Amino acid sequence: MDALLGRVAATQDRAAFAALFAHFAPRVKAYLLRLGAPSGVAEELAQEALLSVWRKAHLFDPAKASAATWLFTIARNLRIDAIRRERRPELDPEDFMPEPDTDADAGLMLAENEGRLRLALKELPADQIQVVELSFFADKPHSQIAAELGIPLGTVKSRLRLAMGRLKRAMGGDE
Amino acid sequence: MIAHHPDDALLMGYASGTADEATSLIIATHLHYCIMCRMRSRGMETIGGSLLEEIAPQAMAAGALEATLAKLDQVKPYERPRRAPSRDGTPGVLRSYLGGDLRDVRWRQMGPRLAYAPLFRRDGVAVRLLRGVPGADSGSHSHQGLEYTLVLQGGYTDVTGSYAPGDLQVMEAGACHNPVADPGEDCINLAVTTGRLKFDSLIQKIAAPLFGF
Repeated sequence: MDALLGRVAATQDRAAFAALFAHFAPRVKAYLLRLGAPSGVAEELAQEALLSVWRKAHLFDPAKASAATWLFTIARNLRIDAIRRERRPELDPEDFMPEPDTDADAGLMLAENEGRLRLALKELPADQIQVVELSFFADKPHSQIAAELGIPLGTVKSRLRLAMGRLKRAMGGDE
Repeated sequence: MIAHHPDDALLMGYASGTADEATSLIIATHLHYCIMCRMRSRGMETIGGSLLEEIAPQAMAAGALEATLAKLDQVKPYERPRRAPSRDGTPGVLRSYLGGDLRDVRWRQMGPRLAYAPLFRRDGVAVRLLRGVPGADSGSHSHQGLEYTLVLQGGYTDVTGSYAPGDLQVMEAGACHNPVADPGEDCINLAVTTGRLKFDSLIQKIAAPLFGF
């Protein structure tokens, strides 16, 4: 998928775009439906997300994220903009405070590690993957997630913390 | 060094896109200062990517690809909006809400030592800038709802510790504190508040509703 995106960026390759569409549009649609979007809206926004891929392909940096992660951020922002009608406060990449040398140990995020992340996600205990998934798909604050699960907020937070610790370790980073 | 960071739940609300705009703004502003949390946030976005990859796909409508292909020639490549650089180091994500730099903010005085500037309010969540001269005491108060405070300039100290630029303080509902601005520059904070503040002193109790607190 990363290579397909590279071809869209480099040569506006329509066949590569069609392959990206076939893979990601139905996933973006499923993601929006999970978050409660009506079917027609999810369909329309999934198309729009892929149109954004076409328009933004030159900004994709495979050293920073995989195609799936990049698509996720596009779909996330599109949903906030179009469904919640809010602005997404995003960092201006050109205006960070000076950074020290990036610590490779902090990496949980390099694209080549994503396969390991996916495996580690599957191996999380059920109660931990549940709060991770709800964090992405419930569109509710954690206090409400806790209330609906019938557990204290502190338990939701500690499950998330445990999950993040396991995922980091699986990626070889320091806890 | 940044000493006070959002916990996993708070940061994940931002990375997953489920946090409200006010909370997202204060977290994004923290990320401006904090490389560690930028990395944490990127790691969480990677989880989002994995969940997207693993989700059961939902078939697109017939002709969806053709309809999208037909639009490709009508759209222009995306260009990042160019913004004039800040003259005083105001985080870019915040400048778009201020409409300028921190030094351009028009402050409203609340007594001789404290000032504030409202940014926006939505669904009962208020976003403001607060400013105190060194030694200014915002008054002992407790929170009916959550309060997030991020230092942008100067610093303050309360019972829980000292806060410097980039530090994020989370006050849970019912918690009480009495922050005092540190010596040096005026302390400027970005504050996100749900629910009203309850002040202990009578004067502030009377004044608070006038200022919308």
